[in-house]
Amino acid sequence: MEKRQVRNNIRRLRFFQNEMTQEELAEKTGVTRQTINAIESAKYSPSLELAFKIALVFGVPLEEVFTYTIADKSAENKK
Amino acid sequence: MSSREKHIVVTLACFSLLLGYYLVNWIRMYQTVGLDQTTIFRLWGTVIVAGILVTILGTILTYIGSNVAYAIRTGKGDGEPMVEDERDKLIELKGEYASYIVFSLGVFVAMLSFVFGQPALMMFSLIVFFSLLSQVVGDISQLVRYRRGV
Repeated sequence: MEKRQVRNNIRRLRFFQNEMTQEELAEKTGVTRQTINAIESAKYSPSLELAFKIALVFGVPLEEVFTYTIADKSAENKK
Repeated sequence: MSSREKHIVVTLACFSLLLGYYLVNWIRMYQTVGLDQTTIFRLWGTVIVAGILVTILGTILTYIGSNVAYAIRTGKGDGEPMVEDERDKLIELKGEYASYIVFSLGVFVAMLSFVFGQPALMMFSLIVFFSLLSQVVGDISQLVRYRRGV
């Protein structure tokens, strides 16, 4: 089975929400700014509850925020 | 760097110093008088009491320091919010897991020393050493996970 990873569009969605800061998103979802930063840079996959909270803040369905795509091998090598 | 990371850095620095202090004193004692009961009990007592004090003082000082830095940086007087979220808890759990592995290994090595005819003081010295080492390894593991991701 091919390797997959959780990707997200949080940066883009923040931009469309009047350039919402990571701090603001963190406050609205009840986590730290560092956690939002880690999620955005794909260093941490959030729990289902936090993922729903983030989608709720942006007012979009979950699959518009997070996608489960095939891992990019070149990106994996860079890590 | 979050307040939790700062706290881990402070604890790591303190426990590394404590580990160094324990090792240096233990080796010095072993080379001069051997495993002397009175001296070794005093050393354990010092290390354990210092470990407890360091943990308490480190927590208080990090809290005060990060609040002062936050107030200066943002101009807000209410201090840095101490939020512990799911990522922090996961990283803490994984750090504790690393600690337990090192400590279990230490207990095994200590028991082995007993099996090979070393005195009981040697076994307990190894357990104290590995308990300090496990704390250091747990802290390092947490810092690495904060930096590289969970």
